Amino acid sequence: MNEQDFDLRETVSNNRVVGLWRITRGFRLVYLLAVVALAIATLARTAIFYLLRYFVDDVLPMADTGLIVLWMALGFIVLALVQGGFTFISGRWAARTAEGISLRLRNFLYDHIQRLTFTYHDQTQTGELLQRATSDVDAMRLFFSEQAIGVGRILLMLFVNWAGIYFLSPYLAWMSVIVIPIIIVASLFFFTKVGKVFEAFQEQEAVLSNRLQENLSGVRVVKAFARQDYEMKRFDVENDKKFRIGVRFAYMHGTFWPVTDLLCSAQMIFGFWLAGMMAIAGDITVGTYMAYVGMLVLIIWPISNLGRLITDMSTAVVSYGRMSEVMRQEREPLADGVLHPEHDLRGDIVFDNVSFAYDGLPDREVDDKTTDGKHSVGVMAEMAKQGMAYKLGETVLHDISFHARPGQTIALLGATGSGKTTLTNLLPRFYDYTAGQIRVDGRELRDYTRDYLRGQIGIVMQEPFLFSRTIRENITFGVAREVTDEEVFAAARAAAVHEVILSFPKGYSTLVGERGVTLSGGQKQRVTLARTLLKNPRILILDDATSSVDTHTESEIREALRRMAENRTTFVIAHRVQSVMTADLILVLAHGRVVQQGTHAELLADAKGIYRQVYDLQARIEDELVSESADHPVSELASELVSVPAD
Amino acid sequence: MSDEIQFEEEEFNARFDKNLFKRIFMAAAKHWYLMLGFLLAISAASFFDSYFTFLSKRLIDEGILPGDMEALQSILMQYAFFSVVQAFMVFSFIMCAGIMGQRVQYDLRERMFNHLQTLSFSYFDRTPVGWIMSRVTSDATRVGELVSWGILDVTWGVTNIIIALLFMAYINWQLAFIVMLMVPVLVVVAIQFQKHILKEYRQVRKLNSKITGAYNENITGVRVVKSLRREEKNLEEFGGLAGDMYKAGFRAAWLSALFLPAVQLISAFAVSAVVLVGGWQFSSDAITIGGIQAFISYITFMMWPVQELARVFASMQQSVASAERIFSLLDEVPDIQDKPDALAVESIRGDIVFEDVDFYYDPEKPVLQNFSLHVKQGETIALVGPTGAGKSTIVNLLCRFYEPRQGRVLIHGRDYTDLTLHSIQSRIGMVLQTPHLFSGTVRENLRYGRLDATDDEVVSAAKMAGAHEFITVLDEGYETEVGEGGVLLSVGQKQLLSIARAILAQPDLIVMDEATSSVDTLTEAVIQQAMERMMHGRTSFVIAHRLSTIKRADRIIVLKEGQIDEIGTHAELIRQGGHYYDLYTKQFRQEKSAAYDAAYEQAPLAV
Repeated sequence: MNEQDFDLRETVSNNRVVGLWRITRGFRLVYLLAVVALAIATLARTAIFYLLRYFVDDVLPMADTGLIVLWMALGFIVLALVQGGFTFISGRWAARTAEGISLRLRNFLYDHIQRLTFTYHDQTQTGELLQRATSDVDAMRLFFSEQAIGVGRILLMLFVNWAGIYFLSPYLAWMSVIVIPIIIVASLFFFTKVGKVFEAFQEQEAVLSNRLQENLSGVRVVKAFARQDYEMKRFDVENDKKFRIGVRFAYMHGTFWPVTDLLCSAQMIFGFWLAGMMAIAGDITVGTYMAYVGMLVLIIWPISNLGRLITDMSTAVVSYGRMSEVMRQEREPLADGVLHPEHDLRGDIVFDNVSFAYDGLPDREVDDKTTDGKHSVGVMAEMAKQGMAYKLGETVLHDISFHARPGQTIALLGATGSGKTTLTNLLPRFYDYTAGQIRVDGRELRDYTRDYLRGQIGIVMQEPFLFSRTIRENITFGVAREVTDEEVFAAARAAAVHEVILSFPKGYSTLVGERGVTLSGGQKQRVTLARTLLKNPRILILDDATSSVDTHTESEIREALRRMAENRTTFVIAHRVQSVMTADLILVLAHGRVVQQGTHAELLADAKGIYRQVYDLQARIEDELVSESADHPVSELASELVSVPAD
Repeated sequence: MSDEIQFEEEEFNARFDKNLFKRIFMAAAKHWYLMLGFLLAISAASFFDSYFTFLSKRLIDEGILPGDMEALQSILMQYAFFSVVQAFMVFSFIMCAGIMGQRVQYDLRERMFNHLQTLSFSYFDRTPVGWIMSRVTSDATRVGELVSWGILDVTWGVTNIIIALLFMAYINWQLAFIVMLMVPVLVVVAIQFQKHILKEYRQVRKLNSKITGAYNENITGVRVVKSLRREEKNLEEFGGLAGDMYKAGFRAAWLSALFLPAVQLISAFAVSAVVLVGGWQFSSDAITIGGIQAFISYITFMMWPVQELARVFASMQQSVASAERIFSLLDEVPDIQDKPDALAVESIRGDIVFEDVDFYYDPEKPVLQNFSLHVKQGETIALVGPTGAGKSTIVNLLCRFYEPRQGRVLIHGRDYTDLTLHSIQSRIGMVLQTPHLFSGTVRENLRYGRLDATDDEVVSAAKMAGAHEFITVLDEGYETEVGEGGVLLSVGQKQLLSIARAILAQPDLIVMDEATSSVDTLTEAVIQQAMERMMHGRTSFVIAHRLSTIKRADRIIVLKEGQIDEIGTHAELIRQGGHYYDLYTKQFRQEKSAAYDAAYEQAPLAV
């Protein structure tokens, strides 16, 4: 029973119940055996009543009951053993099924999510995905471990005991289940309703928590306006609401249970009366009467829980639907492409009239209430978070052409949203360009597998992202092989972060995000630099890597970056002219087009060019500073001006 | 979100001390009538449970065996009558216990929330929000259920077992004695079982939060994962975690599946003992057929109260620990309190003097040392300096969120610890770096500044803050919901609202922590004007980041490691060419770089 023996994507079905059935593959036999074991346990339980009947009718009247009573006693223990043993086996196998299926789902979803396309992740909220992978999977687990087996238990109990009574007297059997349909319907109705109240209860709990959290995070405002009394009143309103829903909840249970109890009792009394009359008339024996009463209890009382289990099961089906929506998404084909050479790239890159438009996801099913209305807000928020204020289908890069030779540094200059980051995202094939051609080392970019390209390209993102592991693990995160300490230290030294790391009490074993140790933005940035250095890529993309860094470390990082760029084709995304002056080629972008390209000197020569304008603007700002502090020795200021474009 | 998830339940080992139980009891005692109600109802219900079995016995012995039709019918009539009474009992205990549980939760939440409002800043600095949140939510729930359903279940369990034993003794005391021997074994085994099961589930929960963390990280960092081609390795690592989860989950599940069979088996021994002894005694007429039936029923159903008792006892430790944590929150004493004879003043206008103030959060790391400053009524002070230089500390001391460890702060010549907290804090208008709005409408948020402000006053405050224009453009104007924390508004809009709110409060003293985040130039200008109007004629302290704000301050204080490094007007400090000059030029370049964007924007026209 190998967990990875089949692809869960095959299970996706538009019919959720069918899908739910399909994911049980590999566990069906075990689960069936669990049900069989349950049936045996139920039979043993019912057999006890037959034994009791025999004991009362045949053993007790005997004159000498000595030894046979001993056998009887043993019989009760054996039946109890059988019952207990098989109940346990059934529970164990059901647990194996439930845990096995959720293990498979967890592993699958984890892998699936990390292999979905960038486009999908751009448009999906973290919380939404997280819910699919955690609480929805847990709903599956409960479905198999408790709900389905629980319904099985109740039904088996009903049928086996009913059959048990039927063998004693068909007439009694039919007369014993009159209230059953009523109770089933009533309990279904009740638990559906209770489910709704419970939802309201939980919503109110969330409201209350939010109220509290707002109060705690706004404690300065509350205190500064001395609004403590007002806050208490506001909290009390919601607290009181919760209390009321809680009372309503109690009231619903308080009416449902006594009413079903009364129904059950009525059926019991009716049974007592019928069977009692038959026993007095001599139609049945006393033993039969006792066996009947015992079995009747097992038929009637468990039924009222059926409604609860069935309503719970329906939520599991909804969970499956949500999960399958993620499962059906296309993965990024990492190995697609004809080229996956053994050797490294040289790094000769040609953009030939490249255009690009973000496209939407082909079939994004919006089928449940969590994704209505709010959904689009969520998507926008997620996109805004990542600085992608693009509209789907809109062309964001137009006819980009340039040639980057191996080892050159290419600077991309432009305003926020001009397409700088998007352009570099095409190289590792995070997104595929929609028109034109990109050639790397003379071959079409699409011929290379994504896997190969990403191995050759190193990216330092604008927002440094570290994982909650040790610093050492973070630095070696991008290399599959074993890495020696020396290599790690060298990378950290080159990224000017070695000394900082050593200053932490636990050095390289410091956990990122651990209490007490906080890495500043600049320090995080340098750890990601070290991570990229260790990966030793042929093509390097530096996305505004110095933006989250203070002046003190800026020069250190700039030096580290300069060393990194040697012998690699490097793309530098920048905002200010100073950081790009030494580049071999500067591309000035505006609204997704290259409006100017050339070296610093060439671009400066074009008096009307935008580059020149920005450069002049910068000079004017410095002039302003000079005049602002006219009293200040001018010579010093001038030297500072010269020192800015030093590298 | 991840904070919430990774906030692990701390390990606890509650001692069962008398005092704690007394306090838990006191929390419930207020609703003694509800408790009395459900205690009576559940005891009666237990009695009827056993009585029904006894009626079944009489049905056999007095009705069926002698063939007495009338006895049969009269016993059944009794059965029916008491069934109705029983239904009423069930209704009563569910209602009483249900309402009581909710009521106690309500009380605890209210007490905690109200107490939190009195606590000082130091408490919130050292206590994570998540910790407080789970006290007020899950711990309150747990204690509420302990004093209602917990007590109810224990009462039911105990009375049920005792009453059943009494009935058994009435039927046949020798057999009842055998059963009585079984009960303690049953209870002990059951409790041990439940304790283990609970421990396993705690393990499962721990692993579960780790798994959620792993998912969360992989989703938020998916771009890095992809660019570093980490997929295979990540899956492998996650597989280990998921495997542990499988093992723990499976173990916990089968252990709980073992519980019922184990308990059942113990009672099966008791049943067989009854059969054995009953069978031998039968010939001596010591027991009837109905008696044997009753015994078997009593023993078989004894399993349920035992299970309930075990469940409650096993989870009791957790509930008691919850109560302990709740009381620890309620016992917290605010650091800063009014002196007994504190003065409530109408206004805090006047000069403000810091006199040799020392302050530290941690005695090892002094934050302010020998800080002295005299601020004249109406002056605007800009505080400038690197992170950790003590800017926020000065503001916190000024608002009396903290008090000086050494030295004094004087307001209008009076030591401010002689005044009531309320009279100081209600006269301060505060605008925070990240403006905090409450969920509710725009109007409600503005009115937070002064609760009895008329609608006209609200509007004129908004106008003064330059917020009126954008508010009227919103879908529902002043009645627009701002969303939780104001998520539906832009940063600039939130700032304007928080300024309007402060204006409405008509404070004597303005404290402002300027936002560093960039807003568009137009909004920036509006905010500047609003600030100026607000500060006009009022003493103001601004933690300043923008040059325009800094330049128009009456005095600029440059802080460095808790000391005044430079002090003076903009012109004076520039002339000095010191620390301020460096800060200024850097900031100048940064602010101006926004102009580049504008230049790039014009580019396509040039081509």
